[in-house]
Amino acid sequence: MEFKEVVGRRRSIRYFQSWRNVEREKIQIMLEAARLASCAVNATFLKAIVVSRDNIPRETLDALKTPVSGLNIELAPVHIYTYADMGAYKGAQARLKKLVDVGALNVTHGWSHKFVDEFVWPNILKPLAEGANQPSVAAAAASDAGIAICQAMLAAVDEGLGVCLSAFQREAINKVVKAPKDWIPLWVLLVGYPAESWEAGGQRPRPPLEEIFFEGEFGKPFKSDPKVTEQMKAAKMIQAQAPLPWRKEEIKALARMFGLPE
Amino acid sequence: MASINKPLEEYDSVKTWYRGLREQSGVEPNEDESRLELLREFCATLELDPDEIVAACLLRKEGKATKISIKGRRSMAERIADFQAGGGAEGRERAKRGNTIRSFLIHNGILLQSGVQI
Repeated sequence: MEFKEVVGRRRSIRYFQSWRNVEREKIQIMLEAARLASCAVNATFLKAIVVSRDNIPRETLDALKTPVSGLNIELAPVHIYTYADMGAYKGAQARLKKLVDVGALNVTHGWSHKFVDEFVWPNILKPLAEGANQPSVAAAAASDAGIAICQAMLAAVDEGLGVCLSAFQREAINKVVKAPKDWIPLWVLLVGYPAESWEAGGQRPRPPLEEIFFEGEFGKPFKSDPKVTEQMKAAKMIQAQAPLPWRKEEIKALARMFGLPE
Repeated sequence: MASINKPLEEYDSVKTWYRGLREQSGVEPNEDESRLELLREFCATLELDPDEIVAACLLRKEGKATKISIKGRRSMAERIADFQAGGGAEGRERAKRGNTIRSFLIHNGILLQSGVQI
């Protein structure tokens, strides 16, 4: 699938074929997409633990549901528990020097081993590594982790899978996954084949570009070009907006199939 | 103990339910009379009228925003599960007993999930 169409097709899927497992190679592709994501100081803040739902004891499965995530967690055959690893700053000095060695950080931009050893590490990164509990450090780590999660989600869509991020109860799942204490729980990425159509009722309503993006300064909208918008429609990045005319009927059918309230 | 002293359709919570069924779910509530019958049976079991059932899931304090009561909601979910298990129904009919009441509460703003009942 072309990249723009992958972006256009992604939805939060909330009905999965609970009986159909996901091929392990597709999960590997998702994880690889996450591993290759952009990350500050080449630190892999995102850590994740893949769990097959059927390997989670029933009691634990019930305990990790939040009021709104219960059904999603039950339907998705694969759960990827994601965390921000606050220890990822450690080792950043060596990683940065490696980026210098491989030609990613160059003299053209002022980078050298000496700069990393004598300025970047002691003045910036070491304090961050030592003050990992500061809100700004956690926000930076969570931001990078989010970028990686997003790449995994798009890779899943490209593989014909459905994905949805949900909240989870950390203590409950930790009996199974045994995540280190300094990992901050983010989301569980639920993965499976959609039981609803891939359109899932249409592209979700979003505010117009001009409302959320600015040019030059806050308050001056970034004006979209209708010609470019048409190009994105042709590339299936911008698709029919929800609700598609048959969505209510689809939800009724899904409710009946899974024995859910209407 | 409250008594049901008017047609169920005249309770505000039932009007809200019917409106939600029509507008959000695309279901015409009058096409299936068993909905109201099940609600009536549930009301009798709890000895509450429909509005009181919704109120039992809420926490109202003067001067504060109304919240969903964690205890009230949990207790109601258990009562619905018991109601579903009773009545001798099996399979889809059994799920329908519980889901009808869940639907009534969901459309009245009380988040409940039934779990898969295939």
